[in-house]
Amino acid sequence: MSQTPLFDDVRAGMVLAPLHKGPLTTMHLMRWSAAMENWHRIHYDRSFAVEHDRLPDLLVNGSLKQQFIVQLLKDWAGPDGWVWKVSVQFRAMNLVGETLRIWARVRDTREAQAFGLVGLELGILNAHGQESTPGSAVVALPYRGGPPVPYPFVATEDVLLSGLHLQGGTRA
Amino acid sequence: MTLVTDAVRALVGVWSEAEPACDPVEQGAVRRFAQAIMDDDSAYAPGAGGGTRHGGPIAPPLFPNHMLRRPLGTADVVQQRANDPDFDGVVPAAGLPPLPGLQHLPVLNGGSEFEFFRHARHGEQVEFRQRYAQVHEKISDKGTLIVVVIEGEIRSRDGGLLLRSRRTLLRRAA
Repeated sequence: MSQTPLFDDVRAGMVLAPLHKGPLTTMHLMRWSAAMENWHRIHYDRSFAVEHDRLPDLLVNGSLKQQFIVQLLKDWAGPDGWVWKVSVQFRAMNLVGETLRIWARVRDTREAQAFGLVGLELGILNAHGQESTPGSAVVALPYRGGPPVPYPFVATEDVLLSGLHLQGGTRA
Repeated sequence: MTLVTDAVRALVGVWSEAEPACDPVEQGAVRRFAQAIMDDDSAYAPGAGGGTRHGGPIAPPLFPNHMLRRPLGTADVVQQRANDPDFDGVVPAAGLPPLPGLQHLPVLNGGSEFEFFRHARHGEQVEFRQRYAQVHEKISDKGTLIVVVIEGEIRSRDGGLLLRSRRTLLRRAA
């Protein structure tokens, strides 16, 4: 885990160091399915995925992709920050064999009483630069010379009224 | 004819009773989970976190979201449907009743929202409450979709809130 960035140093447009995962093989997908005890066949049974569910190939689990996004944000927030909210939409499929680039960029910032709030846009690109998983997040960071973000995190009234919200929401 | 029948609508908005996960936050399960997501954060290792504000080793942020599993002594759907060529392997989530007439439809994960409050610690017991927040039909270029939105809360057994979730599942009707 890295050191926590200070809110004072964060600006809109700042790009986080990306996270790369893959190539994601059938072994990766099977390992994830086993770890979470999810036996959905479209992630490891190619004939079922292609012939029965009419998919182009085995799918990288959405539940695995959202782990990668949370990892990127958690590592950026560091030990004294806190990933408060995350939203992702699974708009396009990622297929077995793909390498994923997980990215995030600061959208805007707000000052709360005890810490600062950072709104981010984020997503997952494949090797062809195609976006599959757009989303947004709100991360709390300490001020320079201030205390760490409180843990457990409490969304106090000034935080809730900060005007910093998830963008887009999940598809419904 | 709509698939979102009165029987389906009757289940929308009704919170499940609090249901404990059948296992605590096990260090072996945390290790397998962390290795599967390829995040070897030292905070997940046994013995970590003694001097930190976490109060001990923790699980990855979304680990509790996957702790609602089938307890011993309950129906094994994988075995029951082992010879069913149409069984997609999706075992209904414990805690929520299946949606009548929709469970056979192919399902895709449409997206998620999470709100985090603290990490789960090794050895901690957690419990879940869930509800169907929305069920509605949507016409897309790929046919009719049934959009199912499930909201959940995960707490430690001492009542502390760990995270809230909002998942969107897409069931393909045609």
